[in-house]
Amino acid sequence: MPLILVGLNHRTAPVDVRERLNVPEPKLPDTTQALHSIEGIDGVAILSTCNRVEVVVSTRDEDVIEQLVDWLSTRASTTRTELEKHLYILRHGDVVKHLFRVAAGLDSMILGEPQIGGQFKKAFVTAQELGTLDTLLTQVYENTMRVSKKVRTDTGIGEHAVSVPYAAVELAKKIFGDLRGLHVLLLGAGDMGELTAEHLHKQQVKQVFVANRSHERAIELANRFEGAAVQFDRVDEHLGKCDIVIASTAAPHFVIEPYQVTRALDVRRNRNLFLIDLSVPRNINPAVSQIDGAYLYNVDDLQQVADANLGLRQQKAGDAEQIVLREVEAFRKRLVAQDAVPTILELQQRLETIRTAEVEKCLRNVGPMTAEQREAIEMFSSQLVNKILHYPILQLKDASDEPQERESLRNTIRKIFGLAK
Amino acid sequence: MNFQVTDTLYVALAGYALGTLAALLSLFVREKRLQYGGLLLMIAGFIAHTVWIGTICARTGHPPLTNLPESASFVAWVVFAIELGLWLRYRVYAASFFVYPLVLLLLTLSAVVGENFVALDPELRSNVFTLHLLMSTIGVAGLLIGLAFGLLALIQDRMLKNKRHGRLWEWIPSLDVCKNLSFRALAIGFSIYTVGLIAGVLWSYRTTAGLMDLRAKQIGAVTAWVLFGILLQSYISNTYRRKRMLFVSAGAFIALVVAILGIRG
Repeated sequence: MPLILVGLNHRTAPVDVRERLNVPEPKLPDTTQALHSIEGIDGVAILSTCNRVEVVVSTRDEDVIEQLVDWLSTRASTTRTELEKHLYILRHGDVVKHLFRVAAGLDSMILGEPQIGGQFKKAFVTAQELGTLDTLLTQVYENTMRVSKKVRTDTGIGEHAVSVPYAAVELAKKIFGDLRGLHVLLLGAGDMGELTAEHLHKQQVKQVFVANRSHERAIELANRFEGAAVQFDRVDEHLGKCDIVIASTAAPHFVIEPYQVTRALDVRRNRNLFLIDLSVPRNINPAVSQIDGAYLYNVDDLQQVADANLGLRQQKAGDAEQIVLREVEAFRKRLVAQDAVPTILELQQRLETIRTAEVEKCLRNVGPMTAEQREAIEMFSSQLVNKILHYPILQLKDASDEPQERESLRNTIRKIFGLAK
Repeated sequence: MNFQVTDTLYVALAGYALGTLAALLSLFVREKRLQYGGLLLMIAGFIAHTVWIGTICARTGHPPLTNLPESASFVAWVVFAIELGLWLRYRVYAASFFVYPLVLLLLTLSAVVGENFVALDPELRSNVFTLHLLMSTIGVAGLLIGLAFGLLALIQDRMLKNKRHGRLWEWIPSLDVCKNLSFRALAIGFSIYTVGLIAGVLWSYRTTAGLMDLRAKQIGAVTAWVLFGILLQSYISNTYRRKRMLFVSAGAFIALVVAILGIRG
């Protein structure tokens, strides 16, 4: 497996180094092609996200590593020695294992996050379109995507929200199921509230109403969510229309009281109402949670949900790592076997030639024979050759993943059996 | 003409037992594949169950509804058929924790009681009687499914309110889905059950000139009808979350069980 990976990530490098090396999406094709033109590189792909920059190459010449490090230091406008403190260099099987883990979200800052799968796909599809992926890297890419899907499906590692806004969306889905067709009321313009509304907007809720003390700001936010701004003193009218209420104001007192919620539920003919209080001090009177049909979550409740989900993901990560290990071994065996095929074929051909010649000689010496006798000699010689070949073929198929060791084994076998170099 | 319980019944029982076990185990190990395995075993059991019911029909020449083992078996069959339909439509995993054991229990009851299957008494060969049996049984299956989903809705509501997400959290669909499914199953089951009861009263009037007698079966059936009516009303008025509705549900379930067991008497 002549694979090399040089890179850095959020664990090995601070953000100022990562941002210097980051390859923006529009520049990805040019940068990939520039790397592909380096002597000795057969295939290349660049994975660049806000948390990692990694260059994966297939090459038969390990000196390429020096050139890659030089290229990266130039790009980061730093010295080679300085950059090397943050870099990791992986070879062969370790590259495959690393890529399987990265695409499955096991190496991400937020364990199991799903975006990395898309970013990985984007990087390799770009390389594929540019023609910078050779056969080996194409196989690596296809297997990585397959393993990533398997890990996510079998373990469900990315299924649970681990941030406050996502936890709010997940809870909304637990109450309403499909969020399409729902109405959302955003009170105030706090960052967390805005982010939660944005996530809900992405879930294709029907409309987002925004109410803020500054009506201009409300209009601005409403435009962003393709919603409508409402006057802050007319919130009561909208409470009855909305299924989800997000409170995120700077008010030092409650802006929603139980009587307002009771009235809203009457208007809603008791359809459920989900209230998310992201403000500190709180904006929604906690007594609201006693009302049937009203579900109130404050920022601490949501954080607890997110923490519990993270714990769940960590439990599932153990299973995910096992899947990755099994898949790496299976992939290694497939590649090694594939690599050995030409030698195996040549070996079989060589021994078959010897066998045929020797059988012919034997038959000539022995004289006339019955068909059964002839068949018995043919069978005996074939079985003998197969037995002789069995162990060398096994060795070739199950060799180390170090390309040099494999090459050395192949050469030895070629030498012993007198195959052409 | 006497029939023995055939091997297909035991195959069905084995499928249901293993399927229920797998589903309940999945609750503890949180493994979706175990759930799928449980479902496949239940489907295998269901196929054997269908063959068994078909055999009874073919040999007796009437629907399998004339005594306790037949009725319990048929209710179990309809309950699982509805559950399978709902699973295909909504992928509700959590219902299996209640529905599978119920199906297993009903079929076990059918096998344990093990009455001989007899050809229908000529007196009972009437369209009204057949309608009574068929509608009552299908109605009961709908009501049981409604109860199961109602229970899920209550559990979901409690978990959301208390902010403590237990083992069932991952398996239960949204509150709205549970509530809507429960309401629909109860509404449809109640309507069909009502038609079944009316047909029963008509048949009783025709054959005995009385509307009903006061055996456990009839008392259980009417009590269940009243309690399910109250439960249905609680959904319409959105008071289904109240604690007393849990007691009404339990009462309705017990009354149904009494009505089913009373078929023997």
